[in-house]
Amino acid sequence: MSFREEARAWLSTVADRKPEAAWGSGDDSVAVFENWTEEEEREHTARRQDWERIRFDAGWGALSPFHEHLYRTEEAAFDVPRRPEIFPVTQQLVAPAIELWGTEEQKDRWLRPMRRTDELACQLFSETEAGSDLAAVRTRAVRDGDRWILNGHKVWTSGATVATWGVAVCRTDPDVPKHAGITVFLVRMDAPGVTVRPIRQMTGGASFNEVYLDDLVVPDTDRLGPVGQGWRVTLSVLAAERLDSGSLGLDNADRAIELARHQPSLTGVERQQTAELFVRTLVQRLIGLRVTATLAAGRAPGAEASVGKLYATETMRRTSDLVLRLLGPKLVADTGEWGTFAWTEHLLGAPGYSIAGGSDEIQRTILAERVLGLPKEPSR
Amino acid sequence: MTYPRIDPALLVETPEQRELRSVARDFFTEHGGDQWKRMAGELGIQGLAIPEDYGGSGYTFAELAVVLEEAGRALCAVKLLPTVVLAVHTLLYSGNTEACARYLPGIADGTLTATVAFGGDVHVRDGTLHGTVDYVLDGADADLVLVSADGQIFACESVTRTSRRVLDETRPQALLEFRSSPATPVGSADVVPRVRDVGRAALAAEQVGGIGHALDATVSYVEQRRQFGRPIGSFQAVKHRLARLLVEYEAARSAAAYATACVATESAELPVAAAATAVCSSAYQLATAEYVQLHGGIGFTWEHPAHRYVRRARSSEVLFGTTQDRLTDLAAVLGIA
Repeated sequence: MSFREEARAWLSTVADRKPEAAWGSGDDSVAVFENWTEEEEREHTARRQDWERIRFDAGWGALSPFHEHLYRTEEAAFDVPRRPEIFPVTQQLVAPAIELWGTEEQKDRWLRPMRRTDELACQLFSETEAGSDLAAVRTRAVRDGDRWILNGHKVWTSGATVATWGVAVCRTDPDVPKHAGITVFLVRMDAPGVTVRPIRQMTGGASFNEVYLDDLVVPDTDRLGPVGQGWRVTLSVLAAERLDSGSLGLDNADRAIELARHQPSLTGVERQQTAELFVRTLVQRLIGLRVTATLAAGRAPGAEASVGKLYATETMRRTSDLVLRLLGPKLVADTGEWGTFAWTEHLLGAPGYSIAGGSDEIQRTILAERVLGLPKEPSR
Repeated sequence: MTYPRIDPALLVETPEQRELRSVARDFFTEHGGDQWKRMAGELGIQGLAIPEDYGGSGYTFAELAVVLEEAGRALCAVKLLPTVVLAVHTLLYSGNTEACARYLPGIADGTLTATVAFGGDVHVRDGTLHGTVDYVLDGADADLVLVSADGQIFACESVTRTSRRVLDETRPQALLEFRSSPATPVGSADVVPRVRDVGRAALAAEQVGGIGHALDATVSYVEQRRQFGRPIGSFQAVKHRLARLLVEYEAARSAAAYATACVATESAELPVAAAATAVCSSAYQLATAEYVQLHGGIGFTWEHPAHRYVRRARSSEVLFGTTQDRLTDLAAVLGIA
């Protein structure tokens, strides 16, 4: 039996197949960022944690990126709890970084609870003065014997209220060039000195938080990677994030194409624009499959692994454009009709992913410098 | 219904294909132009996708696509598309073993060239062909013409040919006039849409090769060209244009690999994959526009090769239908009405 067949067979013993909801009924949410209250976020997280534990205990956790992708393709057909963003952050971004950089003691202590999602981990990366220029972080970590004292202010953290751990990028040496003075710590989000405040984003919801660190005490045993090597630790998390972004936007693009199919009639231009979006979804999936097939063949993927996020954010914009053309006034004024005004959530959420996880401009600079090998800006 | 459904392993080059690519690249770099007989004798390129029974080596379209990509990169071997892609697949799909046995061995050993003349205004009268077909690839030179008339495909060697002046001189076209031309029936013209889809897949491979050339040449130019005391490739405005092109290049590679896999495995997904090669046309257009623009004045000169790629890219955009034609076909296949 192939891996996928095995996964499907196991899934069918623990979950039901997703019911085929008829068009026009059921959930019509196409939110890019969930508009949950804090309480709703906790409920959704707890439900998914229960599911992840079942999965992990049955031996389906801790898969290689290639097998995780195949598993996820199968799981999509089953009625299992939604997977809030903090889960991929914990399992696909933070856990691999611990595997790469952690001490044996840290791996023993952190990997199992994170893969099983008993303990979730959020990113404490961006700051108000360190966005695209992440290496300019000013959050200070000062050594005090076998512990560190952290002070600073982080922004754009999703899952801060449900996470046990935060991965904090801190400045430990202000006297060396900025990339050389950084160290990464895992901080307990329930420790004294950590204050979480929601940020309300342009969709109206609050999916992100700002996190204040005031005289937060962190034991040296919670430092991830060597002192002064934090930039390399950070880059490995960011590279995993880029790799994990390739399937962004596909669900909503598929739904927009379904919306077109359910229109009583389409003009020639609408038909072409729909076919064009279909081609994008097809190509986006092909790019992802080339990455996984290359990994499966035991080789390192090339540029195809780095272009996925840029391709995906464009798909999200084109989805907005098609839906606006198809729905016209029903998109901008709520008539109560199913699956119409709900698209405003996509329209307003899509721009977020062209900024989060490395803006489109930063992604292009990365492609130009690291894939095409073009020279860096002289000022850096 | 979600596409693609083919085995993803087919999207990735095998070590043997990589080997073939390197041999083909060396051959085209060394010999340039059209070395039709040498190509057959030294490398057996014409026979790659022809079954062994008909004098070929019995590989698949996937190997042929590797060669097409390299030919597209070097803008040479223009007879491959009309002969080895269009004519060979018309004969193979016709199921006419007699016609296959008559023509394919000659194509495989480099002694026969061929083309197809579909979609014209040609009719059968008194057992001979009458009418015209325009824009026939390599129409002035091809030894054998497979022409569609009244729902049938005919093999014809005697026809009046007028070369057209063309935008892309590396891809000759001609007007063919049939005046009581003797012809042999080959089979039903029902194969025409499938052959057109194979043509789209082959063209996509050529386009990917051309994009690869434009990107490589431009990256290497902006690294060495200095203005304002630094390489122009260090300016963000230049970097971001090339990064955008890289994204479109990967999209084109993905679509072309998919179409190739569908032809090679005779997948029912081919019509979808062939229509999706529209992204290769737009990526090639972007690549050649950047090729000229980022080379500045030198890129606008006659001596620089960039314009030859611009000509190829733009003329390829209308071959086997424009992007809009492809999208309209796709909407029909997907039932988007």
